[in-house]
Amino acid sequence: MIIGNNIVERELHKEEKIKILLVFPAVFFIFGIIMELVDNGNVINIIDGINNIIFSPTILLTDFIKIGGLGAAFINSAIIGFLNLYLLKKYKMRINGLLIAAFMTVLGFSFIGKNILNILPIYLGGYLYTRYQKISVKDVLLVIMFSTALAPLVSEIMFSGIVGNNFGIVVGLVVGTLIGFIITPLSAHMIKFHDGFNLYNIGFTAGIIGTVFASVFRMLDMNISPVRIVYEQNNIAMITMLSILFLYLMIVGLWIDKNSIADYKEVLKYNGRTITDFTQLLGYGVTFFNMGLMGMLSLSYVLLVGGIVNGPVLAGIFTIVGFSAFGKHLKNCIPIVLGVVVIAVILGYDLSSTELIITVLFSTTIAPIAGTYGVGIGVLAGMLHLAVVQNIGVIHGGINLYNNGFSGGIVAGFLVPIIDAFQKGGE
Amino acid sequence: MKHEIKKISKIVDELVTFFLKNDTDEVDIKVKKDEKNIIIKIVDYNTRFDKEDIDCITKLLCAQRQHEIEAYYWQLTGEIDSDSELMLVGAMIDEAKVQIVDKNLCIELIRYR
Repeated sequence: MIIGNNIVERELHKEEKIKILLVFPAVFFIFGIIMELVDNGNVINIIDGINNIIFSPTILLTDFIKIGGLGAAFINSAIIGFLNLYLLKKYKMRINGLLIAAFMTVLGFSFIGKNILNILPIYLGGYLYTRYQKISVKDVLLVIMFSTALAPLVSEIMFSGIVGNNFGIVVGLVVGTLIGFIITPLSAHMIKFHDGFNLYNIGFTAGIIGTVFASVFRMLDMNISPVRIVYEQNNIAMITMLSILFLYLMIVGLWIDKNSIADYKEVLKYNGRTITDFTQLLGYGVTFFNMGLMGMLSLSYVLLVGGIVNGPVLAGIFTIVGFSAFGKHLKNCIPIVLGVVVIAVILGYDLSSTELIITVLFSTTIAPIAGTYGVGIGVLAGMLHLAVVQNIGVIHGGINLYNNGFSGGIVAGFLVPIIDAFQKGGE
Repeated sequence: MKHEIKKISKIVDELVTFFLKNDTDEVDIKVKKDEKNIIIKIVDYNTRFDKEDIDCITKLLCAQRQHEIEAYYWQLTGEIDSDSELMLVGAMIDEAKVQIVDKNLCIELIRYR
């Protein structure tokens, strides 16, 4: 049990926390405009790019940078970021670690799968659930933000032609609304399977829902299969912009808590199991510092192995940044990453491939296993994760964006009781 | 609110597990339900927690009620004994009073209905 700390930091008002986060979509918006001007000399093409993003099936892996262009992809992410921050402000949400994680995850996945059209039916479903249960929207807003993991199902039904062109829009709208309606009770129930050792719990829940829907579609001879549409070149301006944003988070952390660097060792004492909200346990200074550091290291890893910073990789990096406010840190992530990398090297996989890079980044969903049971078990969990994640995408046909969260839930639910069985003693 | 009684049961489960695992051999629990509130009183006899531990328990329990955390994670409360979920308990209650009376740690939790 670790419940102590003596950290002193600057008092932050809720509005200031929102402004700190607002920098991300604002920078994305400006960056999107600038890149479009540089590439095409005008911003008109952004509309075409956004149309391409909106009207594509968006199933895994559909990189919006590839199908819409750099400018449109960043504008799409910025708009979704603004929308979510507006909702957080409107419903007077306390900006805790989990909300930061949700915001960053949504922002990242707006480069692969979430667009300004396909998330709306899911939000509508969540809203209808609150009316039906007579509860406040703020009770479920967080789950709804995460549950847009299933947004590709909406786009797939609407635009791939699997249910016929005439009915696609209506059926997509109905299915998206249904997902938003059912996901809150389901996600609360699913967490018991892995006891909070899988940080992307909605990924596990969405995997189950996705599997059910994909199975129904296949039974009706409507096949859903993953695709691979990926941006294949590095953009120096984008990498520079990301580095500056992560540096900004570290500087903000130091501004809030001038001893963030010295206090950072406190972060490493936590195992990261749900719920480990660093904003509440250690304050916002150390939390933002940890987020910036983890973002910087994630980006460095991608470049070090010769990878491409594209849509899927951005999703991976921003999810790590977000969950560094809610459980992830260097000490519990490294063993998992090591496990994935070691087994990949042994099996002769290409470390620079986008698929392997995102598996490495997202594998940190099971960081609490390493945080709780140590380096050896963490490495083993990472190895298992790679094995499982390669085989479960087919089950849901790529309609669950948090495929690694689905895999992480299975690995944690499988591994933790076995570890417990081998532990001796204790009451 | 849905599953209200089950949520209270899980809070009690978490607290009993926490105190028996980390502190004492004797715990009393009293739960009272009325139209406006549910009140949970816990007495952790002959506590071995020092002031720093108690301050931290107070900090976790006195955090603001967070409905979104409760909706997402409430079923995790009291689920395992290898780790604690006091932060989750703190997110599920509106008021907490923590004090030492005659070497016993007395906690009163109030959850608005």
